[in-house]
Amino acid sequence: MNRPVTDGDSRLQADRLGLAYGRTTIVRELSLALPDGRVTAIVGPNGCGKSTLLAGLARLHPPSGGGVVLDSRDIRDLPTREVARRIALLPQHTVAPEGLTVAELIRFGRHPHQGLMRQWSAEDERVLAESLAVADIEALADRPLDALSGGQRQRAWIAMAIAQQTPLLLLDEPTSALDLGHQLEVFELIRALAASGKTVVMVVHDLVSACRFADHMVAMLDGDVVAEGPPAEVVTPALVRRLYGIECTLIEDPVTGSPMLANPRRPATARS
Amino acid sequence: MSGGAVSRSPAHTAVLRLPGGRTLLVQRRTQRANLLLALLLAAAAVMALSLGSTVVAPHDAVTALFGGGDAVTRFLIQALRGPRLLAGILTGTAFAVAGCLMQTLAHNRLATPGIIGIDNGATAFAVASVLGVGIAVAPPAMALVGAATATALAFGLAGGTGTRGYRFIVAGIAIGALFGAVTQLMLARVAIDAANQAYPWTVGTLNARSADAVWVLGAGVAVGLPAALALARTLTVMRLSDFTAQGLGVRVRACRWLSLAVAVLLTALAVAVAGPVGLVGLVGPEIARHLSAPASVPVVGAALAGALVMVLADLAGRLLLAPIEIPVGIVTAVVGGPYLLWILLRASRMTP
Repeated sequence: MNRPVTDGDSRLQADRLGLAYGRTTIVRELSLALPDGRVTAIVGPNGCGKSTLLAGLARLHPPSGGGVVLDSRDIRDLPTREVARRIALLPQHTVAPEGLTVAELIRFGRHPHQGLMRQWSAEDERVLAESLAVADIEALADRPLDALSGGQRQRAWIAMAIAQQTPLLLLDEPTSALDLGHQLEVFELIRALAASGKTVVMVVHDLVSACRFADHMVAMLDGDVVAEGPPAEVVTPALVRRLYGIECTLIEDPVTGSPMLANPRRPATARS
Repeated sequence: MSGGAVSRSPAHTAVLRLPGGRTLLVQRRTQRANLLLALLLAAAAVMALSLGSTVVAPHDAVTALFGGGDAVTRFLIQALRGPRLLAGILTGTAFAVAGCLMQTLAHNRLATPGIIGIDNGATAFAVASVLGVGIAVAPPAMALVGAATATALAFGLAGGTGTRGYRFIVAGIAIGALFGAVTQLMLARVAIDAANQAYPWTVGTLNARSADAVWVLGAGVAVGLPAALALARTLTVMRLSDFTAQGLGVRVRACRWLSLAVAVLLTALAVAVAGPVGLVGLVGPEIARHLSAPASVPVVGAALAGALVMVLADLAGRLLLAPIEIPVGIVTAVVGGPYLLWILLRASRMTP
């Protein structure tokens, strides 16, 4: 399923990027190139700056130092609408007005392609139908968002990001609130999007899922990248210890061959 | 859906195709609501022209409005009731559109200019101008300064949390109370005749309006209403969340400042005409939202509903205790107060 990253093409890069909330620095001098057409998973403990980095990459969080390069240009030099035509970001916590239907939500995804006098084109119509089909929620189009299950709702939000028709898709913990079956649905949708040529960057909490569904892994700790590369090479007992402070044994998934954590435990010193 | 990828516009909408590949998206329900409100407003307008101390038949009233009929009726309609009706429609529109913008901006139905203290700020400055306290500038200009001052103070005291959240609202309520007190203090300190002249303003009435202020308001609405309509499309996206809206290419800061500026302008100019009839800014958008499609920001509906409420409230004020006239501000308070309580008691649907 996973594809190794071979060439060095990258449309989206962080260049000594610094991100801060007020005086609290979250990310310091981080440099990173996200491989085109692949699924990149960003992993790391709570509070290590994963979500902030994602927001910074999408220009939703202003840098306190360095910058983000999109298609060889400083992202700050691009108009807001132009950025929205190239990068879609799905935040971890989403809010929708009461009574909003799935189709209406997806319609918002067309906003960067519309104007005051071009509110609904034939292209918008085509993309709406396509987004519903890709996310497999055609039957839910006219249902209010608040009447859906968690998995359906998440797919509706992803469909909105698909309707934005951007080459880059950033997802912040797209599966965190979902049960195992719905997690798989979303991950498979993400793989299908990557197969169609999109570059996907996702923050994922579950290391095993990250290994299984990502081509490229970025491990973060305290606002810094500590390891980067193919999941099977990046994930080691030493990295797990460093990121999460736990001991574990790594085994191979007997079917897919991707790394799995066995017997995770807190180190003896921490238990006392 | 049964038959594969059928091309479809979003549910409950119609696409208006204009020359040059231009398209407008219209919510069917919103369209029906606006039509209904427009018809009701037209009926209320005819009633406002016909009814009063001298009753004129509706047909004669409309004829007189367009320059027909006998001279006495023409004077009554064209010089007295017509301008008052126009002032009612304009102020109602301005208050309600401002309220609609502020509510959407703040994600809170209580965040209308009347409650945030913008009305009271504008009133205090307008009264100061009428009383000749300090510099004497035309009331609309002074009202604008007052409204802007109140807004800026509410922002400053909210501590950079922006227009969202309760800090902004609580700060605004405090500012409103302060400006209300300043107005009372000014009225208490001047000669009784001057105070009497300025008093109706502090209650809210269409009786004490100046023709100049109505013209200025007319110009303000001519600019503010199209601006609000243009902003509504973007504000609809901002109902998701600032973060998501920005990701969809909305310049959130610019949109917010522009909306706030339009709201302050419309409120100030309306206050200069009719005083602080702030509850129209709460009730108007509420009626429009109740009738319109859930996903939209009903600017046109709010404008029509606000004008309707204002015209009906003024008419009721003129008729109920005739020949004594009840100021429109008191009528809207009597009707709007319980309405506000009802909203508070239904707190589960707080966000617009």
